Amino acid sequence: MSQVLRLTDRNFEEEVFQSQIPVLVEFSASWCVPSQQMKPMLEAVAKEYAGKLKLGNLNVDQNPKTASQYHIMGCPTFILLNSGKAISRRVGAQSKKQLLEMISLT
Amino acid sequence: MTANRQKGNMKAHNAQCTCWNCPAIDLTGKVDFRACGQSREVFTEGLDEDSEAYIVAECKRRKELGLFDPMTITFEECPEWKSTPYGYLLKNMRVMILGIDGYLGWTLALWLGSLGCEVSGVDNFSRRDWVKERGAHTVVPISRMTERLHAAKEVLGININFRQMDILKERDKLREFIEEVKPEAIVHYGECPSAPYSMIDIDHATFVQQNNVLGTLGLLFTMRDLVPESSLIKLGTMGEYGTPLTGRPLFEGVFPANAVLHWDDREWSLGGELTPRDPVSFYHVSKVQDTYNVYEACKYWWLRSYDVMQGVIYGVNTPQVATDTRLRTRLDIDEWFGTVINRFVAQAVIGFPLTMYGAGEQIRGFIGLEDAMQCMTQLIAHPPEPGQYDVVNQMSGFYSINHLAHTVAKVASRDFAIPVTIQRVENPRVESDIHPFEPIYNKLPDQFGFKPQVTLEGEIYRMLELLTQPHIKQRIEEKKHLILPRTWWSGIKKQVETLEVLEEIKYEPSSTTYRP
Repeated sequence: MSQVLRLTDRNFEEEVFQSQIPVLVEFSASWCVPSQQMKPMLEAVAKEYAGKLKLGNLNVDQNPKTASQYHIMGCPTFILLNSGKAISRRVGAQSKKQLLEMISLT
Repeated sequence: MTANRQKGNMKAHNAQCTCWNCPAIDLTGKVDFRACGQSREVFTEGLDEDSEAYIVAECKRRKELGLFDPMTITFEECPEWKSTPYGYLLKNMRVMILGIDGYLGWTLALWLGSLGCEVSGVDNFSRRDWVKERGAHTVVPISRMTERLHAAKEVLGININFRQMDILKERDKLREFIEEVKPEAIVHYGECPSAPYSMIDIDHATFVQQNNVLGTLGLLFTMRDLVPESSLIKLGTMGEYGTPLTGRPLFEGVFPANAVLHWDDREWSLGGELTPRDPVSFYHVSKVQDTYNVYEACKYWWLRSYDVMQGVIYGVNTPQVATDTRLRTRLDIDEWFGTVINRFVAQAVIGFPLTMYGAGEQIRGFIGLEDAMQCMTQLIAHPPEPGQYDVVNQMSGFYSINHLAHTVAKVASRDFAIPVTIQRVENPRVESDIHPFEPIYNKLPDQFGFKPQVTLEGEIYRMLELLTQPHIKQRIEEKKHLILPRTWWSGIKKQVETLEVLEEIKYEPSSTTYRP
């Protein structure tokens, strides 16, 4: 089972805005080669931070509403949200160190 | 998953794929492939679930489903996907093989046909022509295409829809055929696969590059226009990477996310960038150019492709080709089209010293014929997502040439009572004879369920069984003057000279020594 939650326009409100813990969302796409390469690392981070941080992935082509609300202009884009509020944003593939730096902002 | 694994009841590698991966659906609604998601500025307030702004699927096989969310039905749940030993496979899946008359193309046609695929294929018989042009022949005799098609039907009950054409020069014909067949997967073996052939002279170099690069480019445009939902399984080669002397791992086409570039006290993830290529001949350059063309086509048009970096292939056997002499696939042993293990086995059979180029310490990735067929099926069964470009390194192990020569010598001497000599000859290629080599080849086993079945010694044994048959041995004898290389990368014209002859290798015959 994937540790990274599949986010959609439909469940975004519940899974992200109403989440009790911070959420790191990856906006990705099937055609995005860096997004595909991020998968194993995100799974590992999700496992490592289970209970403390939620990791979610949103396909921008399948979920245009959320993607446009966040003005996604390139993939992958990572947005860290706490109580529904975006506190950090990065575009492009991230090394594990960079991801953990981002997470440490919570 | 762990519990399942323990029960030996692992789910098929593609069980959880959805209609998003499936070539049998048309995507409608807001399929914004031109923008490729790069531009999402327009704020689409008030989108609801019925809005045309969403991508929806329409199944070409199950019209009754109407329009639906492509992520809702898995292969496991869909009645059109049937369980096979290689994962779920689309019922009567239409697979088109370009280069169906070749060593791999013919073998795959029979393999897929026996799994229930509707196989179609094209070829212009150029492999037969190239080999003939060099004065060589396939040592395992093969039938003409009409005879092959007839035998496939008669012996295996497989109907193959074949059309003769040159995909480069007869693009309209290819379009027509693709339009007619509407393939759900296209396997592209239709290229000239020889490094030395591309190094003969300017005519051969330009021919190989035009044929391979422009043939593939035409195919990509045709797929864009007619079957963008079909997956393209494109043959590349491990030789695209070369053997860089930095010794860095040869990743599967793109860097993983945890590969990091350190510079000036900063770091960047290289995740998703194509890794550097260091091709080793003008043929390999054509394959690198193909890689870029396919990569771009996926990016621009939402085509979907696996670029297969195949290790050096060897072997003669699959259950289908071994059924009938008319169904056999070709086996070349000349310096241009013979791959190393195939050539060594043929040399051993006629007592011709096995020829290692240079130090013989060159290391390459290898894969047996039957294992390559397994991989191709598993890739076809797990189509990429729309726009997804991915690379797999298709090999089951890596060995030095010296190790291969000694393994052939061991099996020939131990199991067939054939004593073998090994010699080192001048290396006509420009390459490092001794180099680091660390290939990564995890994706096929980890994500596609690949389990290698062919062992090096086992396949060499099967090859010796076939090649020691008198009529085949005779065909090897007839062309032995084409084994020693004459095509120098430098352009000099001469045959290589022997540098050293190693001691004859003689193993005690095993109790099961083969007696034809």
